[in-house]
Amino acid sequence: MAVDCTRTNLELVDKCIGSRIHIVMKNDKEIVGTLLGFDDFVNMVLEDVTEFEITPEGRRITKLDQILLNGNNITMLIPGGEGPEV
Amino acid sequence: APFRSQEKKKKESIFDLSKYIDKPIRVKFQGGREASGVLKGFDPLLNLVLDGTIEYMRDPDDQYKLTEDTRQLGLVVCRGTAVVLICPQDGMEAIPNPFIQQQDG
Repeated sequence: MAVDCTRTNLELVDKCIGSRIHIVMKNDKEIVGTLLGFDDFVNMVLEDVTEFEITPEGRRITKLDQILLNGNNITMLIPGGEGPEV
Repeated sequence: APFRSQEKKKKESIFDLSKYIDKPIRVKFQGGREASGVLKGFDPLLNLVLDGTIEYMRDPDDQYKLTEDTRQLGLVVCRGTAVVLICPQDGMEAIPNPFIQQQDG
């Protein structure tokens, strides 16, 4: 998959606005949702969100509407990701 | 005179990541996560773009098990605020624990 290195990394996230994104937190939590926007600190507004807890091996909460995800604990962002298996 | 250091400092990086572009690197994060992938991009805040990313997760009971619990993540943006270590993939190897004392009897 060819990536344009001249763009900043956050432009890559910006291209993801409107599509699904998979967010991996510092702890064992992961969030999958549709990206509506983000700010300089990569706080993110997501909708149609599913929250996954990895250790207990199961899906936790499905939230609709919109959430504001605090960017403090974000480790990785995976554009177009569907989340963990199961 | 007291403002001079502010002018010269700016945002110089102490380490140039451009030599790792298109090379596989290992990244460790706050919280214990580890990942490796090909470095495709970075910025002065240490946000990274990795391609073909593999994540290694640590099991609390298994201490440090590398082969268990890996998963393919593909193209990933890593938050610079969470990065604690970056090294080339071929610049490290796992060794047996050098601190274990031989217990006799």
